[in-house]
Amino acid sequence: MASMKKFAAGAFAAVMAAGLTACGSGSAGATTGASGSATPTTSKAITGKEMSVMVSEMPSDTDALGNALSTWASESGNTIKYIVVSNDDMLTKFPAMAKNKDLPDLISTTGLHQLYPEEFVKPETFIDLSQFNDAALRSVGKAYASDDITGLPDQYTVTCLYYNEDAFAAAGLTAPTKDNPWTWDQLYENAKTLQEKGGVKYGFAADVSRARYDIMMYANGGSITQKDGDKIKVAVNSPQNVKTLEKFVEANNDVMPKAIWAGGTTDNPVEYFKNGDVGILLSGSWNYNTFSTDISKFKFSVMTSPKGSASQAAIVGGGALAVPKNGKQPQLAEQFLQWLYTDEHYSAFLQLDKGPSVMKNVSYDPGTDQAKADYAVIQNEVNYVTDAFLADEAAGWRQYKDNEYRDALKQAVAGEVTAQQALDGFASELAESSNWAKAY
Amino acid sequence: MKKRRKANTAFRHTGAFWLFVLPSLGLFALFFLLPLVLSIWFSFTDFDGWKKMNFIGLKNYTKILKDSSFYLSLGRTFIYTIVNLPFKVAIPLLLAALVTSKKLKGNTAVRTMIYIPVLFSSLVAGITINWMFSQEYGLVNFLLEKMGMTPLEWSLNPTLATVVISVASNWVSAGYYMLLYVGGINNISKELYEAASIDGSGKVNTFFHITVPLLLPTTFIVLLLSTVNLLKEYALIQGITLGGPGTSTTYIVQYIFSQGFDQYKYGYASAAGVLVSIVFIVIAAIQFKMTKGGGEV
Repeated sequence: MASMKKFAAGAFAAVMAAGLTACGSGSAGATTGASGSATPTTSKAITGKEMSVMVSEMPSDTDALGNALSTWASESGNTIKYIVVSNDDMLTKFPAMAKNKDLPDLISTTGLHQLYPEEFVKPETFIDLSQFNDAALRSVGKAYASDDITGLPDQYTVTCLYYNEDAFAAAGLTAPTKDNPWTWDQLYENAKTLQEKGGVKYGFAADVSRARYDIMMYANGGSITQKDGDKIKVAVNSPQNVKTLEKFVEANNDVMPKAIWAGGTTDNPVEYFKNGDVGILLSGSWNYNTFSTDISKFKFSVMTSPKGSASQAAIVGGGALAVPKNGKQPQLAEQFLQWLYTDEHYSAFLQLDKGPSVMKNVSYDPGTDQAKADYAVIQNEVNYVTDAFLADEAAGWRQYKDNEYRDALKQAVAGEVTAQQALDGFASELAESSNWAKAY
Repeated sequence: MKKRRKANTAFRHTGAFWLFVLPSLGLFALFFLLPLVLSIWFSFTDFDGWKKMNFIGLKNYTKILKDSSFYLSLGRTFIYTIVNLPFKVAIPLLLAALVTSKKLKGNTAVRTMIYIPVLFSSLVAGITINWMFSQEYGLVNFLLEKMGMTPLEWSLNPTLATVVISVASNWVSAGYYMLLYVGGINNISKELYEAASIDGSGKVNTFFHITVPLLLPTTFIVLLLSTVNLLKEYALIQGITLGGPGTSTTYIVQYIFSQGFDQYKYGYASAAGVLVSIVFIVIAAIQFKMTKGGGEV
């Protein structure tokens, strides 16, 4: 497992290093590697068709995918029809669409291809997978229950802590560094200081996502599952996980906007941070781009993740483009993907996406010194992906239960149940659905 | 010959009846009977909404009856319904009395304003109320702060969250029930009011001793409709609290929806739906019995 971790971290680091090397050249914008990759081509270019694309929100003019689709459409003589369905709703709409044989040609998804791999075209049949970064392919493109690649990663992210520099200065705090990270206890203490002296309403906030909460769990040596020989056991209610949740509940009462994790509001903590109401935000690296354009009333930056009782921890993830097998025009979607994943077009995509690259030969140059420093922190975060996270991903527990875990955490934060009860309840549900035994 | 003609007339009469009834019967069968039958069938299976559907007998039912979340959601639903029912009747009744009063100026405008929320989709109404009562950036807390008061924890306190939902529910339904009462008030003979006036009865006395008793058939309809609507409140809650904080505003329809569409336990959700339907039918039957169908009250 340690080798898996090293492999994932190494591959990501290689991609980022390539990006930063390119930064050194002083040229702004996206750069293309020297060697182009040979990709299979379709026999004949399709033209004059309408390609339906399911996305979680309507792409704006500056959206990387939206821009790529429009450019491809005008170059190829096709048109695009967007079907906008939120990521949560996709989970219910996709089966219904599949049943009614009403699937779109292309889906931009965070997990459908991993949950229903048999419903998607394997990209290796129409594109050369060797041009992709392996870690990105494995964490974002791979099915939960097998090694099949069923989607092509287009957005690659890592958990990331943003902080309000002005609030830090006002509170007399210095951001932790790679060599001298805070502990989670220090983060909570400093969050209190930020509330008292930094001029923010909340010292700390985190997206309502188990992928955010889980970095605390992994940092404290916890996991969702445990390997017992060949068998997998449910370990989500382990003593160290209960302690982590108890601490998180306490933090919600003291330094976080509790209503968000207690589940009584649809508010987004990202908006709180953008409004200057939050000192430190635990979110995804994909937000960096939005923050760069949206935040003007204070300076923000990125800090290294805190240490738990075991280690530092990060989670990688992202979104993928997947072609439903039973869509009306899978070849049209394949044609678009072949077009997108060429060095030239993917470089243009990255220039807008401003995220880590998923292709070996293409990288993004952040431009300013501040952005370069922030990207170095983001790049380093992937080194903190834990073995336990990779083992949990390999176990594929999310194909049995997913949102239920977050809901259990919410109930604990709301004070309806204790941390122990919340995790015991979810452990039983997961054990029942997966037929795995409980370790605790 | 006479017999044959009679039979023909009867057939024509019955045929015309079926011709008129058929369109709505078709829709009723398609959108109510068919889903009902399917739902009952699914409740005996482990249907996951797509690929898996095995007959599992009464397993879903036995599991639900052991599920504490089911009872908690049902209990919350009953409390929400019982607490809100008096407001569902009293507010529209008072509004109807107000808008039928000759002293009120701008009668049509007032009626229109009260009725407009009925035209909103419940989800839109919910989101609008959510904006107003948002804990951080909501209008109500903003105004409270401006007046030097402490902002209220609308999203954190289960009681306050329930109050917000209740206010929203009454706001969106009051106009409709008010119209039912306006129709009822207009049907009350004016002579009764004249007689009461001659006998020296005051306005309040007349309202409670003539208007309210004579509106009992309308009140029965309002009670029945509000009970059913409160028991199956869903979209409004999704727009306001999403069932939170925690699960404090997760009522029975949210529970069923979550089991079916979030957890893909369509069979289990169908069984819960069947059980809840039986409970609701029993409640409606009791209401019918107690008020003699609203006819002889």
